[in-house]
Amino acid sequence: MEGFLPWQWCVVWWIIALPCLVFGIYQLKKILETDRDALPLLGVTGGFIFILSSLKLPSVTGSCSHPTGTGLSVICFGPWITSVICAIVLLFQSFFLAHGGLSVLGANIVSMGVVGPLAGYAVYRALRNTQINMYLTVFIVCALADLFTYFTTSLELALAYPAPAEVGGVMSSFVLFMGIFAITQVPLAIVEGIVLALVFKYIVQLKPDILLRLKIFPEEKIRAARGEA
Amino acid sequence: MSFKYGLEIIALLAIIGFCSLFLYTSSIMSDAEFAGSDTVGSSQIAELTGKAEEDYQPLIGQWVPPSGEIESALFALQAAIGGIFVGWVFGYWKGQKKTA
Repeated sequence: MEGFLPWQWCVVWWIIALPCLVFGIYQLKKILETDRDALPLLGVTGGFIFILSSLKLPSVTGSCSHPTGTGLSVICFGPWITSVICAIVLLFQSFFLAHGGLSVLGANIVSMGVVGPLAGYAVYRALRNTQINMYLTVFIVCALADLFTYFTTSLELALAYPAPAEVGGVMSSFVLFMGIFAITQVPLAIVEGIVLALVFKYIVQLKPDILLRLKIFPEEKIRAARGEA
Repeated sequence: MSFKYGLEIIALLAIIGFCSLFLYTSSIMSDAEFAGSDTVGSSQIAELTGKAEEDYQPLIGQWVPPSGEIESALFALQAAIGGIFVGWVFGYWKGQKKTA
């Protein structure tokens, strides 16, 4: 989608993306200084963003799209560090794949690395201390982070390309782009959520202490999931 | 989790369901091209503005993979990099657990 966003909008999205990135890098430095064991976890969550965002999958609408894979990183490290990982992935894609460009990178970081993760993070905070099953929480967070990424993409395009005012302006464009991006995304988001919940189960089994130390889920929940309760 | 492999089974069912959904839609929609939603979105913009798709050029020039094959190779490379990270860390944790 390179070249489609007018330069004014590119600048706007860059201005929103940059402070998030700076804050993310600051948080990342802090967490790596205090806890070296967080590095492998960062590798796993970042690795899944790399894998999943490269898979273009066919969907019910007869077009293809790819998942984002940001959910795990949102749960483990919060939205800002996720923005930094997304920026790296998106930079790779715009340099080598012409999949998004340098000028629209800001817009892509906002949709994939800021709004999607923020939506997921809000859900995670709301559900973390409730009775709801831990893996179900992971599933909902991952699926929503994915879906909201594409909501945002649709909104970015609708703002830049509103339909003529007499047929509904920005709103009608938004619905149009939602039809293209978000509907395609629904089945992908569901599968992504389930797969990442499974990955989270393996992390719980192999390395529960890092999850406890970062206070990702309450101790009782992790113990119960490991069958120790 | 009452059943040990519950989540694995759900994941497997979801993937099978996803594949069969794909087979079903591709058999009833004979005109489906399975183009990227980016491509569909691009032509939508061209329709909205009345400008040809080719008129849209990136603001900052960039290298474009010369062919679809090269592009998919690079995408595979990206997935491989991610796979190496994931596999390495899980192996590292597994080893840590064994020696502990």
